[in-house]
Amino acid sequence: MSQNDLIALLPLVVVVGLAMAVVIIDMIVPDRDDLVGVVASGGLLLTLAVIAVAGPLPGGIGLLPVEGEQLFESATGGGVLVRDQLTAFLDLLFVMIGLLSLLFAADYLKPRNLPMAEFAATLLFAISGAMLLAGGRDLLILFLGLELLVLPGYMLAGYAKRDGLSTEGAVKYFLLGSFSSAIFLFGLALVLGFTGSTRVEEIAIVLAGVAAGDAPLSLGLAMGLALLTTGVAFKIAAVPFHYWTPDAYQGSPTPVTGYLSVGPKIAAFALILRLFVDALGPLKADWLPFVIVLAAITMTLGNLVAITQDNIKRMLAYSSIAHTGYILVGLAAYAAAPVRSYAEQAGLEGVLFYSAVYAFMNLGAFACVAALQRRPGVTSQIASFAGLGRRAPLLGAAMFLFLLSLTGIPPLAGFWAKWYVIQAALQAGGLVAWLAVLMMLNATAAAFYYLRVVVYMYMREAPDAARPVSLGAFTRVGLVVSAAFTILIGVAPPVTTAVIDMARQAAQALL
Amino acid sequence: MDLGGLPILSAVIFTPLIGALLIALVPREREDLTRWLALGTALVTFGLSLLLLPGFDPTAPGFQYVETADWIPAFGIQYKVGVDGMALVLVLLTTTLTWISILASFGPIRSRLKEYMISFLILEVGMIGVFLALDLFLFYIFWEMVLVPMYLIIGIWGGANRIYATLKFVLYTLVGSLLMLVAILAAAFSFQSATGSWAGAFDFEQLRGFGFDPTLQFFAFGAFFLAFAIKVPMFPFHTWLPDAHVEAPTAGSVILAGVLLKLGGYGIIRFCLPLFPDAAQQWAPLLIVLSLIAIIYGAIVAMVQPDLKKLVAYSSVSHMGFVTLGIFIFQPQGMQGAILQMVNHGIITGALFLCVGVLYERTHDRSIARMGGLAASTPVYAAIFGFFMLASLGLPGMAGFVGEFLVLLGTFDHSPIAAAVASVVVILAAGYLMWMYQRVVFGELSDFLKGVGHHLTDMDRRELVTLTPLVGLTLVLGVAPALVLDLIQMPVGEVLARVGGSLVGAAP
Repeated sequence: MSQNDLIALLPLVVVVGLAMAVVIIDMIVPDRDDLVGVVASGGLLLTLAVIAVAGPLPGGIGLLPVEGEQLFESATGGGVLVRDQLTAFLDLLFVMIGLLSLLFAADYLKPRNLPMAEFAATLLFAISGAMLLAGGRDLLILFLGLELLVLPGYMLAGYAKRDGLSTEGAVKYFLLGSFSSAIFLFGLALVLGFTGSTRVEEIAIVLAGVAAGDAPLSLGLAMGLALLTTGVAFKIAAVPFHYWTPDAYQGSPTPVTGYLSVGPKIAAFALILRLFVDALGPLKADWLPFVIVLAAITMTLGNLVAITQDNIKRMLAYSSIAHTGYILVGLAAYAAAPVRSYAEQAGLEGVLFYSAVYAFMNLGAFACVAALQRRPGVTSQIASFAGLGRRAPLLGAAMFLFLLSLTGIPPLAGFWAKWYVIQAALQAGGLVAWLAVLMMLNATAAAFYYLRVVVYMYMREAPDAARPVSLGAFTRVGLVVSAAFTILIGVAPPVTTAVIDMARQAAQALL
Repeated sequence: MDLGGLPILSAVIFTPLIGALLIALVPREREDLTRWLALGTALVTFGLSLLLLPGFDPTAPGFQYVETADWIPAFGIQYKVGVDGMALVLVLLTTTLTWISILASFGPIRSRLKEYMISFLILEVGMIGVFLALDLFLFYIFWEMVLVPMYLIIGIWGGANRIYATLKFVLYTLVGSLLMLVAILAAAFSFQSATGSWAGAFDFEQLRGFGFDPTLQFFAFGAFFLAFAIKVPMFPFHTWLPDAHVEAPTAGSVILAGVLLKLGGYGIIRFCLPLFPDAAQQWAPLLIVLSLIAIIYGAIVAMVQPDLKKLVAYSSVSHMGFVTLGIFIFQPQGMQGAILQMVNHGIITGALFLCVGVLYERTHDRSIARMGGLAASTPVYAAIFGFFMLASLGLPGMAGFVGEFLVLLGTFDHSPIAAAVASVVVILAAGYLMWMYQRVVFGELSDFLKGVGHHLTDMDRRELVTLTPLVGLTLVLGVAPALVLDLIQMPVGEVLARVGGSLVGAAP
């Protein structure tokens, strides 16, 4: 273990240390909610700086560049962790997600007398799990990261422990989550048994042999791959493995729902990139059909069911399922494109770019719901939004912005995300190009339910009983940050280009 | 004319945006300031668009006043705008109708005035941008930019059933435009893989000269055309139009009929035909038939409408059918007639909606059956309404006549049967319009209008200011259509040269 190894591990160490610091503050400082909020968010800002120091930052500004550094290398199989552009891209994204989730939660938990410190610590541990996934090059590390990511997630879902719905959601999430983890682990064991290694690189070598026809694809290995796929499909909530999502999302405290809809989902996509692209890349022609089918039914079913929802959290839950489908189109584009073609890279760029944009706009939308519900007692019915445009013009405008972006109206960031995935899909051609067409038809259906919220906000009057909405300071900062990204990625060419460059270099690191 | 290095097209596009930002800063209670600021902005934009005329050379091919700047170099996306004769007349139509619409909104719009004016000015940015964009990506962004303000205008300031109408409008439009986005990307990618570089992949002038392969052309034409056909709206994609018109506030209807429908016709001529000429030839026979159906169907349905706005809306379907017919016969007179018809329809139908609005302001009703006898009580109104009614049915000497006549002339050259079918509609149009006018204006004052009592006043000064310029334009373009025809001759020639001559497979 060299000095470089330590530097490369630094971001992860800082986040874990921060989580512990929060736990300690919780024990020794009385009346600590605001302090914890400030310390945790300040610490995450520090982490962003540390990621820059540990480098390599996409765009090439890493202060101590550790280009594709393999950590804890074995003689043959490469490191168990890697610190490359992709790790840096995902780390940045996860830390931003953690930061925004904290900001949005602070103002929501307080009126409900829910402790901030436990929330912050749990969330930070989850973020560290996601960061572990981002750099994992060993199936065991990937599994470890996955569990470190989802276990705190179960706790967060049930965070409002006196609320029956929250507990119900948490139990469902926990049961199906551990079920899928078991499936994943079983697949992992089979892969280990039939390839003799847990190292991504060694598995890739074995599978390249299979793909080249040197060795047959044994039934056990195929089973292992199928189980891995199923486990991951649960985690990203792809149809038909999505049943836990609406209940978990509806029951969780709203800021937690926001976090669950982006954090674990994007982390699971990180797992897919590390596992399916890195290890299973040679067999991509074999898993392509599954991805195409998954993408098609995930987006279509997600959208169709979202249309019928009256509860905004369930609606956004189904909409997040639909977005999973859109991101899968990027993966399908990668899988369908010829090896070493630009289209292959474009598909991965699409996955990364879409994930980044989706994180900001979806968190923003949930933050608006959370802000509306700051005072306990406001239901999650879409009708709660009635007349919001007049009652709270800024909150209404922010929600309008995020909904337009989720719909994909230019020039907002959500439009660019769709655009990116579609252009990759069209380059891949064939069936995947038709997937792009299906995606656009889906976007129209999605417009219906997103705009229905706008209808309530601007075209219906508030009920007389509706009380004014006040925004907390943390929420304001968070909303400004996510709105700024949603707008700037769309309209400011330098920002757009910067994010495109980052996604591009991260994708190149993977190929 | 020297404009002192001013990027004049960008100035025309973004002046309304500046106005919208200024209005956002005005305190809510200063309603008059908001009104005048909006009108001022629209008038400045109108003035700037007039500045384009002196320096414009109608005999020069291609685009003028072109401005180019890199936007997203990684994908060759540019900010590129330019104008030719066709875009110029449509921009002038837009800037004219916008200030008239804003002035017409002074009275009727009483709630959330600030948001209304901001929406209206952003709408203008989008509309002008669509006509001037020369980069497909930029074009798409302006195209979608039109959608959101109109959604709000119908949804917030519309009638009783406004939410249904506005969602229908948005969803219809989105289906088309999102598929168009796929087609834009497919075309750009096809260019990229042929040239090996993204540079110019969205540039209309580059793509225009690029022969796309037939399969791509077929589907891309279909996707582009669907987006435009929904906007036009062409039978059978027209069903959003009557709903949207009935529910929209008066000024919304004026812009909807006057400009938004023209975005569709413009898009077909500007993008569909030059980019995908072979596919256009393949699709043309079907589209000619659909145009004929639209012409007749619109007229017949208009005849039985009990609601004034619905009647005008269906007459739009019929009139816009002439536009698509004129385009797809690929014949110079026909296409010039189509563009002229777009301009004329914008002026005349816009004015008709203003007339209906005047009546609605006083009676809060639009049903034809309840009206009657307006000639005696409001003579000025009756005269102006009558004027535009006659213009709409195509009375020679007024603007409506020339466009339709040219289209029919071109069609006769192409297929006498189609021309005969379309001509019948001129009679139908006379029928439904005059019958409507007779019921509303002649006879005894109806009981309903008697009930309205002293509120039934003749047109006030502001209303006269909104309608008089349109009366003038209708007469001028009726007598001297060459003003427009001279400008559009060159663009039409260029498009037809791309599509390859005048004769396609004969229409049935």
